[in-house]
Amino acid sequence: MITVNNAPSIDHAVGKPKAGKGMNWKTKRKLFIFVFTVPTLLFFCLFMIYPIIQGLYISLFDWSGGSETKSFIGFDNYKEMLNDPILGHAIYNDYFLVFWKVIGIVGLGVFFAVALTRFRMKGSGFFRQVFFIPNILSVVVIGVLWNYIYNPSIGFLNSFLSLFTEKKVEISYLGDEAYAMWSLLPPAIWAGVGFVMILLIASILSIPTELYEAGNLDGATQWQQFVRITMPLTWEQIKVSILWVVMTTLNGSFVIVWIMTEGGPDNATQVMGSYLYQMGFRQYHMGYASAIGALILILSLITTLALQRIMRRDTYEMS
Amino acid sequence: MKLKWGKSLTLLLITALLLMLAAGCGSKSETKTDTPATTTETPKTDTKTDTKTDTKTDTKTDTTTTPAEAAGPELEGDFEVQYFVGGYGDGFWKEAIADFSKKYPKLKIKESAGPKINDQMKPRWIQGSPPDFVYIDGAGANATQMVKDDQLLDLTDWLETAKNEDGKLIKDLLIMQPVKYDGKIAPIPFVFGTWGIFYDKAEFAKNSWAEPKNWDEFLAVSKQIKDSGKMYPFIHTGKYPYYINGGLVDTAVVVNNNYDGSILDKMQALEPGIFKSEPVKKALDQVKQLVDAGFIDPASAAINHTDSQSLFLQHKDAFIPNGLWVENEMKKDVPKGFDFGFIPSVTQPAGGKFVAIPYTSTVGVAKKAKNPEAAKAFMQFILTEKYAVRWAELTGALDNIKADLSASDKVSSLSKQASGYYNSPDTVVAPYIELNADVDKVKQDSTQALANGKITPEEWMNRMEAAAEKSRGKK
Repeated sequence: MITVNNAPSIDHAVGKPKAGKGMNWKTKRKLFIFVFTVPTLLFFCLFMIYPIIQGLYISLFDWSGGSETKSFIGFDNYKEMLNDPILGHAIYNDYFLVFWKVIGIVGLGVFFAVALTRFRMKGSGFFRQVFFIPNILSVVVIGVLWNYIYNPSIGFLNSFLSLFTEKKVEISYLGDEAYAMWSLLPPAIWAGVGFVMILLIASILSIPTELYEAGNLDGATQWQQFVRITMPLTWEQIKVSILWVVMTTLNGSFVIVWIMTEGGPDNATQVMGSYLYQMGFRQYHMGYASAIGALILILSLITTLALQRIMRRDTYEMS
Repeated sequence: MKLKWGKSLTLLLITALLLMLAAGCGSKSETKTDTPATTTETPKTDTKTDTKTDTKTDTKTDTTTTPAEAAGPELEGDFEVQYFVGGYGDGFWKEAIADFSKKYPKLKIKESAGPKINDQMKPRWIQGSPPDFVYIDGAGANATQMVKDDQLLDLTDWLETAKNEDGKLIKDLLIMQPVKYDGKIAPIPFVFGTWGIFYDKAEFAKNSWAEPKNWDEFLAVSKQIKDSGKMYPFIHTGKYPYYINGGLVDTAVVVNNNYDGSILDKMQALEPGIFKSEPVKKALDQVKQLVDAGFIDPASAAINHTDSQSLFLQHKDAFIPNGLWVENEMKKDVPKGFDFGFIPSVTQPAGGKFVAIPYTSTVGVAKKAKNPEAAKAFMQFILTEKYAVRWAELTGALDNIKADLSASDKVSSLSKQASGYYNSPDTVVAPYIELNADVDKVKQDSTQALANGKITPEEWMNRMEAAAEKSRGKK
């Protein structure tokens, strides 16, 4: 909160002592806040709220997405979702990705961050950059790249495995329902670890070294130091990382799925986003696709709120 | 002073934002007001026309003395053409439009074209101010869906009597007749090609493998190929299973229906029980034979067209089901000495006929066209033998007009091979159909799973019957 005393001093600093003529500081402050919030709010409404409302509106219609006319069918699209086995599978797949990506990305991110800061590894700067590189690549590039790695016939992975077997390995990772979802995880995790790692490195570096020194003197092992010092003091960042992974997965796993499998084989890797696209743009049920969009919105909200609830801890102050 | 300036600036900013918001909301609520004028109207620019085509058209227009009879009265006003630019390029359309505008100089022709044009024009179709003429091809375009959405002009009566520029009845020149939707015709097939099985003649000769002409020979040579250990006999595009549907499954269905293609029409009509009928079962059993014999490359399951075609070109696989465009598409990657062999179908018994499953891209006139006369005239203009040859020369593919291509040396050898099959009495060209998008998706998934050995023919049939049942319920 800005206090009363602060406001004039700001004016002073800018060197406009008489600037407030005809306008007292309260109005000015209001105007100031107004200028910074209203445009943002307008943009938010225009680009977030309006499309959401429009999407919800469309979800009440039977509309191909191309015709001039749409017919109002109330909640029929939502009712149909209840009987759609593919959608159920897609939701399961979404949460499969959420679960394993949180474990993979946050787990590895924390591990690398601790390794690069606390273990005084050599060449930590180099590793930092290497781990971060996937983050500056487009997901599309990552998808294509891993498609080549997974290529059953000329891909790197099978060629590598074939070194250890007598018969040539010919597993079709993305073509077999049993492996396809698991095969989506490595590229997804690989793409996300760097960001979490950087976030946590910054956070760990801000922990006063005295705390660790004290820990050492008391005979705490590295593990104990991690659990008692690092974890509590970086909890906010870990929480943010988890939420980041969850939200980007629920809203954005479409890209990697679409690039790598288009939801196949036989809908085995369908996630809500890819199924939405399939329904809206390939099978011409835009109303149903919008209903799926609404479902994604609702599930994302519930998941995020629930997670925030679960992960709430008392914050530790470092001073 | 300064402050006033700052204040008015913020006010300006806010009003600007409010206006933007209003504008943003406004456009959606006024979807019905169709403003006919396209704001950026570019009068025809024929910068691309080369002299060669100039002379050609001139002679043509001179010789045809009765164009008015075919095209109706003098055409004028705006005329907008929408065409997708993909594998076939835009050379043909540029040339045809330039020639057309020379013939009707009073027409102001606008071209809306590009690889993303279907998405770009979508709002115009939704708002009821579409272009006049549309070439329906590429991602985001689907003729059946446009008919469902009531966007195309009914051309049933027109086609009965329409003559092309040369005064010939168009109906008689079409290789493939248009799809009828409840007895009505709207999109006219413009591109013509068929699916088939491709192989490398040179490689076959080198290994003294016999080029198969029927199912038994196909199985025999596949076994030989597999036993040689050199490559897999068969690869398909598992990510897009319509390749194997067109090149293998559908041919087998027609073969097993005693070469009667009407079964495909019944499939399109979603007739109850049709997907469980005997011909379908036999066809699926043939696929199962390939699976059980281990002839299908396991790599097929999840790869896209480019990857599967690359493996085929690298001699990792002997046969691939594909469309006639494959040679053109992979032009840069075809190894030296590779000699494309093509056979429309391999599923027929010894002594049987070949079955060719066609594919097409269509042209149509928008129902809300502002200048339908010009659009129809343009159809009559391009649905001629002359432009059939130009299409073949410029795109390496065939169009849907019966024309003698042998005179042109620019037509690809594959097109000539294929066209030899189509003209032979031993080949049955099946009717072209478009399944309902929902059913088609199930068909693709099921075929992929069947070829991947994950489901049985019975499950394939059950799934299809269920999907058809569901679609029938939806009107």
